[in-house]
Amino acid sequence: MAERAGEPPAAGAGAAAGAGAAADTEPAGAPLVVLRGVNKHFGDLHVLRDINLEIARGEVVVVIGPSGSGKSTLCRAINRLEPIEDGEITVDGEPLPEEGRALARLRADVGMVFQSFNLFAHKTILQNVTLGPVKVRKVPAAEARSEAMDLLERVGIASQAGKLPAQLSGGQQQRAAIARALAMRPKVMLFDEPTSALDPEMVQEVLDVMISLARDGMTMVVVTHEMGFARRAANRVVFMADGQIVEQAAPESFFTAPSSDRAKDFLSKILTH
Amino acid sequence: MMIRKLLAATAVAALAVGTAACGSSGSSTTAPKVDKAVKFEAGTTMDKLNKAQKITVGTKFDQPLFGQKNLKGDLVGFDVEIAKIVAAKLGVPADKITWVATPSKVREEVIEQGKVDFVVATYTINDKRKQRVGFAGPYYVAGQDIMVNKDDTSITGPDSLRDGVKKVCSVTGSTPAEKIKTFLKDPAKQLVLFDVYSKCADALKNKQVDAVTTDNVILLGLIDASGGKFKLIDQPFTQEPYGIGLKKGDDKFRAFINDTLEAAAKNGDYEKAWKATAGKVKPQAPKLPVLDRY
Amino acid sequence: MDVLTGNAGVFASGFFVTFQIVLLAAVGALVLGTLVAAMRISPLPPLRWLGTAYVTVVRNTPLTIVFFMTAFGLPEIGVDAGFLRIPLLDSLFTRLGTDVPYFRFAIVALTVYTAAFVCEALRAGVNAVQPGQSEAGRSLGLTFTQNLRLIVLPQAGRATVVPLGSVIIAMIKNSALAGAFGVAGDLFQTSDELTSAQGLPAIPVFIGVAAGYLILTVPLGLLLDRIERSQAVTR
Repeated sequence: MAERAGEPPAAGAGAAAGAGAAADTEPAGAPLVVLRGVNKHFGDLHVLRDINLEIARGEVVVVIGPSGSGKSTLCRAINRLEPIEDGEITVDGEPLPEEGRALARLRADVGMVFQSFNLFAHKTILQNVTLGPVKVRKVPAAEARSEAMDLLERVGIASQAGKLPAQLSGGQQQRAAIARALAMRPKVMLFDEPTSALDPEMVQEVLDVMISLARDGMTMVVVTHEMGFARRAANRVVFMADGQIVEQAAPESFFTAPSSDRAKDFLSKILTH
Repeated sequence: MMIRKLLAATAVAALAVGTAACGSSGSSTTAPKVDKAVKFEAGTTMDKLNKAQKITVGTKFDQPLFGQKNLKGDLVGFDVEIAKIVAAKLGVPADKITWVATPSKVREEVIEQGKVDFVVATYTINDKRKQRVGFAGPYYVAGQDIMVNKDDTSITGPDSLRDGVKKVCSVTGSTPAEKIKTFLKDPAKQLVLFDVYSKCADALKNKQVDAVTTDNVILLGLIDASGGKFKLIDQPFTQEPYGIGLKKGDDKFRAFINDTLEAAAKNGDYEKAWKATAGKVKPQAPKLPVLDRY
Repeated sequence: MDVLTGNAGVFASGFFVTFQIVLLAAVGALVLGTLVAAMRISPLPPLRWLGTAYVTVVRNTPLTIVFFMTAFGLPEIGVDAGFLRIPLLDSLFTRLGTDVPYFRFAIVALTVYTAAFVCEALRAGVNAVQPGQSEAGRSLGLTFTQNLRLIVLPQAGRATVVPLGSVIIAMIKNSALAGAFGVAGDLFQTSDELTSAQGLPAIPVFIGVAAGYLILTVPLGLLLDRIERSQAVTR
């Protein structure tokens, strides 16, 4: 655990969260995901500024912040969907490789759930879930299939297995996308605003799946505006603005007593409306 | 081919406007003696041309050694010299000749329409054409022949192609291409066709074909341009008598030109004309063929 | 009409030669074009540059020049496209195996030229696939080629069928140039032979030749329409 080695205050806050709010499993051992001195520009825009962040095994980190703060970019950088210019990112001790097979291998261990689901439009729900295990993990088709059905059962859409994505509701699609990511047995799951594209009535069914995942001890990085989820499932809240991590804390202390003005301002805007 | 048709059409159009290509004087390489005192029977074409002191002649502008415009803009070639001989006999000097480009497809037309007084343009005499125009001559008998690389001794004539292995090149849609097929075992394996002869020459140069076939006069031009890389087999296997085309029915003019040719053969002008032009590639001057005085 | 019936054999053999050329060149162009498209969208910059350079050069060069380069440039450097003498295939397409290389050169020229257009049609199709599809594939751990083969191209295919078909139809018509570059007896050349050398009237001859090309292109167009319609349903 980071703070034992006397690491940045960020990690200390994480530990506090770990002791507090949600998970049954205690974060332990070396950090699973480490970002050190990460910088990235989009043209003139400095979207990630000197990001340092460690995520422990089993930890659930919620990243919040105003739009354009760089939180999505941060999330996508962890599996190199966004390459970074400067700094280092390691997953389970391994630095992110350049493009190529090594990167593909590493990505297989990092599950990703997108805002717009991104289910493969030309494949059925079941095929979406089995594709990764069969093509990447080389799991025999029958085995992949039965595991996929279990996962679909778990996210509550086993009856939709034979349908194409376009035939499902948004909430169902996002749950299928979570099942697809889980099928790879990832070490960590990244959620990039997983409920932002959903109709309000479907948000909860997706959050429920995510909460149960957190309870089962999955390491998760979740970019979201769902403060309820953060309170119920997160070990730590990371608040970003202008490409920087402004503050991080356990959910309760963050929501009740944010220390920075930016966070206070942000919270006042989203909590009062 | 399309391009030739287009050129032909362009030429016809140019003639129709009456701008009549260009009237270049031509470089007088031989300069046959102009008969200043000559008199002709009134009303004949000869008399008319002599009095006008002006002649319009159709020839090719792009046929090496026979009728080609060089870079200086001068027309040179055997056909051009033959025309000058006829003009001189009419009492018209070479610089009074107006030259008109007459590609193959427009020759009958320009004669019928009176756009030119006669045509000397590698013009093969045949019965089909005789129905539309008159022919003096022949002044030369061309024939389909074969061109090979200088060091090739394996091909001695069209029969050498019967082995089914040697590859021969010609131009698509041409009579020589049709003719050579009769000597080939399998055209698909032996015949290579391009749209122009210069491509055949390229293919011969880089050894993709063993031979090029068409009329020997065309081959002579290619040999001239090759700088000695190619040679002619010189075994013509068809007869292409070249005549001087003129208006059908103008028998007096036709007889006059025939007489002129015979005279030129006798006084050496004919040989001189050859030596100054095609003779550069084929030094042996031909004998004037037996005239077709029909 | 006599011209058409009397020379049916000539037309048929011309059609057969053209058919062979376009069939082989179409396969070649699809394969090469897919490769170049893969290069153009590859994550590796050198491959991207190579692919882009290929398309830029070939697509902006007149086809006649491409034919010229294959018919006269290749022999110059000692290449007779012998790699196309593929066993078995050359017994099916006998001209592939002959010592006259121009049939092979014609296929090379058409393949090289058409591949640039195939690449661009494919790339347009790939660009029409939402980037999220490829991101999802990548984040599952699919390699670049797996992603292309399993996720992107199958979806690009739908947006690609019609433009790709147009490319092939254009190629069929372009194949007429083969007759001007050494290939004896293709469909277009048939017309030249019958009109110029045999002196047959032009109009019926051209009707016969045009019919030959239509036999190749029209069914292809109809097939494309069908594919497009059947896919509209599944989409």
